[in-house]
Amino acid sequence: MRILPLLIGGVLGLAAGAASAFFAAGMIGSGASVGDQIDVNGWKSDWTIGSTSANPWTRARIARHGLLALTKEEAVYFTTNMDSDGNRLSEDCTYEVSGGDMPGQWWSITLYDAQSYLPLNKDNALSFDQTKAASSGAEDAWSFTVAATDPETGNWVSSQAGGDFDMTLRIYRPTPDLIADPEGVLPTPGVKRLACGGDA
Amino acid sequence: MRSFLTGLAAFAVTFLLAHFVVLSALPGQIMSKVRERMADSGIPLHSWTMSPRMTPQTQTVVRPSPDLAYAICLIDVSEGPVELSVPAWPEYGSLSIFEADTDNVYAGSVDARAEGATGMRRVIVALEGQDLDEYGEAEQVIVSKPEALALIRRLAPSQAAYEAAAALIPASRCAPL
Repeated sequence: MRILPLLIGGVLGLAAGAASAFFAAGMIGSGASVGDQIDVNGWKSDWTIGSTSANPWTRARIARHGLLALTKEEAVYFTTNMDSDGNRLSEDCTYEVSGGDMPGQWWSITLYDAQSYLPLNKDNALSFDQTKAASSGAEDAWSFTVAATDPETGNWVSSQAGGDFDMTLRIYRPTPDLIADPEGVLPTPGVKRLACGGDA
Repeated sequence: MRSFLTGLAAFAVTFLLAHFVVLSALPGQIMSKVRERMADSGIPLHSWTMSPRMTPQTQTVVRPSPDLAYAICLIDVSEGPVELSVPAWPEYGSLSIFEADTDNVYAGSVDARAEGATGMRRVIVALEGQDLDEYGEAEQVIVSKPEALALIRRLAPSQAAYEAAAALIPASRCAPL
């Protein structure tokens, strides 16, 4: 009668092992983040993204949530799903995102939904980047509003249809200093929650 | 008690086995599906194809950057090496190559302002053991499986810049040698 527990344990193990792999890769649910090796004030990254040294969990998560990502020498990716007070980012709230010059050749901040796609709206306000910061005359002290509707003044990134969203900061051709010491060098953008729901 | 321990041991062994087999297979499976989807949408093998400007309605892979102009070339080196050549761009730009398991095995600048920049970046993609002696001048990238994918990214936040990037496609090459 040893065969029955062997069989039950084996079948349950196979199912649980496969399910846990799908969960770890972010195929089930939306809990997977881009990486967890580096966390600078809630902006998370992983220097093994895209590289042959990535562990199986990172490679699987990136395949699902950041396919075709570049290695750190070409681009680094920092993602946050929280405001500066640690609250989950939500389409129901309005935020002010602000920061300064970034340590690299070019940078951008783009908003994605929980499935890692651009939110399905037609607002044509998907990202804020160095080009927009420079054209507004404030490359060293820029800010933009994240909201589901156009604030009418200032720079805007739309969260309409974003649900519980996140934002990815890309820095292309990052400086060697940033790669060597991200916690000490990255001037993390501030994400200030202004109002939620009817609070506005 | 012994039956319980037997079941527990079977669970632990098969759990670990299934976890790592599925986890290791996922990147290749995802890449393969994306490749199939690209082929179904009309992207041919060995030809640079410009992606439309990235919007919520045109996105086909996760986390596209709406500020970049992308061009894709699907590669298969099973019959021999493939040559890529990509003209320079006046702002940020890169040529990158991805293996079948998603690893980014090559990234080179196509920014005309970069140190040592030339008007054209030329790369040969090949499998280990394929003869590359006669192509000494070009950079060489060895991939572990025949199927690979090349991508050009060019900073193009406006329609005019996107069109300028698209105009460089006829002067670009992605073809077997």
